[in-house]
Formats: sequence, structure tokens, C-alpha cells
Amino acid sequence: MSEQRRSDDLFDSIVMAEERFRGEGYKEGYERGAHRGLQEGRRHGAVHGARLSAEVSFYHGFAVMWQCLLQNHTDPKSRKRMKAVEALLSQLERSPLDNPQSEKLKEDMDKLRAKFRQVCSMLNVPADFRDFFKSAQGTSF
Amino acid sequence: MSWLKSVSFSGEDVFDENADELNLQSREWSSNMKRRVRDGYVDGVDAGEEAALQQGFNLGFREGAAQTVAVSRLKGVVTAIWCWCESQHPENSAKQTVSDLLRQVTEHEESILEDIKRTLENPPPSVSDISEAMEDLGSMPAGGCCGGEKCEKSDCCKEGGKGQTVVPQQSYRSLDSSHSLENKFAVLLQQCTQLVTELGLPLELTAYIESLR
Repeated sequence: MSEQRRSDDLFDSIVMAEERFRGEGYKEGYERGAHRGLQEGRRHGAVHGARLSAEVSFYHGFAVMWQCLLQNHTDPKSRKRMKAVEALLSQLERSPLDNPQSEKLKEDMDKLRAKFRQVCSMLNVPADFRDFFKSAQGTSF
Repeated sequence: MSWLKSVSFSGEDVFDENADELNLQSREWSSNMKRRVRDGYVDGVDAGEEAALQQGFNLGFREGAAQTVAVSRLKGVVTAIWCWCESQHPENSAKQTVSDLLRQVTEHEESILEDIKRTLENPPPSVSDISEAMEDLGSMPAGGCCGGEKCEKSDCCKEGGKGQTVVPQQSYRSLDSSHSLENKFAVLLQQCTQLVTELGLPLELTAYIESLR
């Protein structure tokens, strides 16, 4: 019986040793993989963030310029245009690009694009020009 | 006694067979354990990568987003100016100037986007990569410095004697490219401000353009 126990102990210590070596390898690999994953994710995130921010910032600059222009015009047409422009600006304020995982992000982007299209049509922005800056934005979200 | 003599002269051990056996077992054990470590390593790499991907994405997203705010706002402004010129003064000679500026701003935006893609595809080596490489060449001890306090080299332990090799942090762009992009952008801002003045557009617009600097 003591021989059985001895061989059990031996078996246990072999398994433990195997697990220990495996564990050490795992830890080292995990660190390496985490570093790689961070860099890879960072690259994709940067390209994505840059594109989305480019689009949103474009709307902002565009709206601010029109806001400056329209503020001194009091005729009804200008007032309507101003209202649309200001609605776009406040929507932009409500949609910060701080969390790419936010479910709200896609919804916000769709709303912003719709608002921008509306503002363009109210300002009689020529259709072919609209195509120009649509393609300059790259892929949509 | 003759067997004793033959043993001493030949140098063989009477337990040779067992020694061989033990040696073989120990090598097998060693090879098994190495395999365990490797298997563990591979699994670890996969798990680590998966865990860090989203975190990396979120970090990169914010970093990338910050890069295009100024140039794209400028693009919006210039585009709006172009639209205004088109609606107010279709024959205006300034239209060509505006078109040119718009083209340049768009190109600038594209360079920034390209730069982002390129920089992270080829990251500069980290401090640990370099010191590992130096160790391999045998020119530096594991600490990554040539000799610590007693170091005579002027630029080696300059950094507070901590023994770190002087390697840039993982920066977004090389210093040169960063400088030239910034200069280019300053020129574009200047051109836009000039345009606003020439066209008699509201002064508030100038303030906004300045804020992009």
C-alpha cells in the first residue's frame, strides 16, 4: 500500500510540475499577447476615430461659418436657415466622440448626417458639391 | 580482480546502463516540460491579445479623433465659404482662391490620416526591444546601461543615471513630420483668415479660425 501511495505522490508532483511550467509559459505569453493586442487595437481605433472626428468636425466648421453669416440677417428665410444651423450645432454638442463602444454613437452619427443634409438643402448647397465632401469623408460608420 | 582492472582502465562505469537510462529520462522530462511551457505560452498570447484589443481600440480611437479636429473644422469653414461665394457672387474671382484653399486643406487632412495609418503600422522600437537586441550583440549587460554610475559615455546615463537607453517613447509621429504638418497647417489658417478679411466676412469667423491653431 505504501508503494501505491508513493506512486500517487509521484504522479501528483509530475502533474503539478507540468501545470507550473504551463502556467509560467502562459503568464509570459499573456504579457506578450496583451502588448500586441493593445498596439493592434490602438491602430484600428486611431484610424476609425480620426475618420469619424473628421466628419463631425467638418459639420462643426461648416455650421459655425453659416451661423456667423446668418446672424445679421433678420428676414424669414434667413431665420429658418439659422434655426436649422443652430439645431445642427447643438446636436454636435450632444454627441461627443469619447466612447467608441457607446451604443448611442451610431444613432448620433445617423442623426447628425440627416441634420446636415437638411441644412444643406435649406442653404441650397449644390448637389455635386455635396457629393464632393461626402466622398472626402471616407467610409461611413 | 581482473574485472576491477578492466573497469579502472577503460573508464567505464559498471552502472553505465543505468546512467544512460537516467540521462534519457531526464532529457525526456526536460523536453516535455519545454513543450508545456510552449503550449502555455501560445495559449497565453491568444488570451492576452483578445483581452487587450478593445482597450487598445478605445485608446487609439480617442488619440486618432484628436488629430483631425482642427483640420476638418477648417475644411468645414472653407467649404461653407465656397458655398457662400457660389450663391452670392457666382462670377466672383475669389472663388478660384477658395477652391485652391479647399483643395489644400483636403490634402492636408488626407496626409494626417495617412500619417496615422503609417505610424502605427511601423511603430518605433520600444526600450525593451532595443536593450534585448543590444544584449544579443553582447555590448550591454542586462540592465540596459553600460556601467551605471561609473559610466563615462556622455549620453548614456545622462537621464538621471537610471541607465535607460535614450529611445523615444512610442510617439505618434516622428518629430520632423510633426513639425512640417504643423507649419503647413499654420499657413492654411493664415490663408483662410486673409480670405475672410478680403471677402468682408464677419469677424467672429476669424476668432473661430484662430481657435483652431
